[in-house]
Amino acid sequence: MARKPVLGIITNDQHQVFQRNVIAGASDIAVRYGYSVQIDSYAEDPDHPSPITLDCAALSGVLVIADAAPLDLLRSMYESGTPLSLVSHLVPELPIPSVIADNVQGMSELVKHIVERCHRRKLVYIRGVPTQRDSSEREAAFFREMLRYNISVPDIHFLRGDFSASVAAQSVQAMIDNGADFDGVIAADYVMGITVVETLRRNGRAVPGDVSVVGFGDAPEAETAGLTTVAADVVEQGRRAARQLISQQQGTRITGVTVLSVRLMIRETCGCSALPLKV
Amino acid sequence: MVRSRDDKATHGQLRRHNRELMLRAVYNGVADNRAALAQETGLAKPTVSELIGELIDDGLLVEEGHGPSTEGGGKRPRLLKFVPTARHIIGISLSEERVFGALSVLDGRIVAQHYVDLSEAPDDTIVVNALLDVINGLMAQLDAPLLCIGIGTPGIVDSRTGIVSYIADWGWRDVPLAQLIRVNFNVPVYVASRTELAAMGQYVFGAVNGADSLATVLVGRGVGVGLVINSAPYHGGGDIGHLRMAARADTNTVEEDRLEIFLGWQVVKQRIYALRRAYPGSILPGENDPLSYLHLRYAAANGDRAALALQDELSRYLAQVFAWIIGLLRPDHISLAGPIANFGQPLLDQAVQYTQHFVLPDLVQRVTFSLTEAESSLLVAVGAVAQGLRRELGMV
Repeated sequence: MARKPVLGIITNDQHQVFQRNVIAGASDIAVRYGYSVQIDSYAEDPDHPSPITLDCAALSGVLVIADAAPLDLLRSMYESGTPLSLVSHLVPELPIPSVIADNVQGMSELVKHIVERCHRRKLVYIRGVPTQRDSSEREAAFFREMLRYNISVPDIHFLRGDFSASVAAQSVQAMIDNGADFDGVIAADYVMGITVVETLRRNGRAVPGDVSVVGFGDAPEAETAGLTTVAADVVEQGRRAARQLISQQQGTRITGVTVLSVRLMIRETCGCSALPLKV
Repeated sequence: MVRSRDDKATHGQLRRHNRELMLRAVYNGVADNRAALAQETGLAKPTVSELIGELIDDGLLVEEGHGPSTEGGGKRPRLLKFVPTARHIIGISLSEERVFGALSVLDGRIVAQHYVDLSEAPDDTIVVNALLDVINGLMAQLDAPLLCIGIGTPGIVDSRTGIVSYIADWGWRDVPLAQLIRVNFNVPVYVASRTELAAMGQYVFGAVNGADSLATVLVGRGVGVGLVINSAPYHGGGDIGHLRMAARADTNTVEEDRLEIFLGWQVVKQRIYALRRAYPGSILPGENDPLSYLHLRYAAANGDRAALALQDELSRYLAQVFAWIIGLLRPDHISLAGPIANFGQPLLDQAVQYTQHFVLPDLVQRVTFSLTEAESSLLVAVGAVAQGLRRELGMV
């Protein structure tokens, strides 16, 4: 019996919510098209990453989640002709196609919501990791929306978050301790958004009564916390990437970026669900 | 009886026309069963049944449930429903900076987008390769058969033949773009000017309050006007950046009087820098900082004199364009689109005010105006989808 062709997936931690859902979507398409899937989750302990163990030359194609594969590995796979697709990542040096969520649309929806519906204008922005593409795109989009709504955000209202709950919590705590005046927080991801809500409440600030909080991206944890977000369908992102990969494996040349729309998930932390719709 | 080729063509055209009538009636909710379709279209019931059978076989309609019986207690009719996911359409926007594509189902809902950014001065090979890559990227995401591909391009286009006559920046002359793409993907391909498609997209999917005739003024690097007249796209629209401004038409300095010299973004940028120097203390960004129409909007909203001066200048030039359109065509609606729309409502309001200096105020007041802040690439791609729906299924 002929051996099934294999698609490889390189990720940093297959058990995280985002990665798990991307893998589920990619596997769904792979199975539908007669492929099996091998996963290399190479850095489950970020302090002790193990080397990538996949035999890339034996694979029909490789899907890479975020920046899990170093540039030199990507380059060698690309130069050897291995079909590649990236999820939530771009490598300007190489024409490898990718699938990303629409950061610009998502940030635009969050700002529009918190300003137009929740009537918040004294805003704080919790930043991600400045070197990551998602982070820089979201921050640039936030800045553009501030211009659109004629809102001036002082530099001290741009807080370090690093896509880390603990870093975001420290930044917000320091801001509260300094007596800063703000009524809305937009976090570059939902994990930081959740921790901001907790920190504010611990300090006696009512969410959403005193401060509205929203965050980018969505997961069950965000739903449990009642956080208003914009949701990218991450399973669909995995499906799209697998289709892109299989198409290349069948001989189609693809470069560029497939973009997935996001949708606003209105929950409790923005406080507008109790407000009448603006007509 | 032996029929001539012309007879056959006429019969085929009639059949296609009747199919489109059926589909349009169900799509628009005018009729939802065979008897109602026969009544609505005036076609014989057997003809309706045969055509509906074809549309069901093609997956474009499904039978779903039963309607109420007639007053006489007759048999309850099987209800017909349009299936928007039965086919996909690809809409493409070609611009100087990016090839952008949208994959849509038949009700205009976009299910995937794909883009390839172009280098600073791309040659024709780079553009065509990027176009093929974008289509490939969207083809990889198909869930249903592809109905057609629509493409919006800058420059001068013959939309009947799909030949791009001229795009200066890419050195294109008489490029048979539709044919080139058709042989690669084996589906119908329609090519039109970007502005024509932007207008079509707004007419079909935009909020234009039931206007029968509308003009979309697209201002970015250049200036273009797209038209829908009496519910049909007008194929002669396109770039108008080469037109000379009336106020300076006596100077004989053709190059310096072209509209795009006043409204094209590269020139507007230089004007911003000049105004910034003329008004010390302006909050507009300097020459080494990012600059966009949103910066102008913000500065003008905060009373910045340089930004307000530019708002005044731009609104006068736009008024000239609006006046040409109103004077010639009397549209129901004019939409300002492209990056300039990010300057915001005050720019449009002022332009409308100035328009009344150029044409009778009564004529201006009969026109409604709007800003379209959506990305122009998306607007054009959506228009290309609308054009595909019109050309292939006669649905819009």
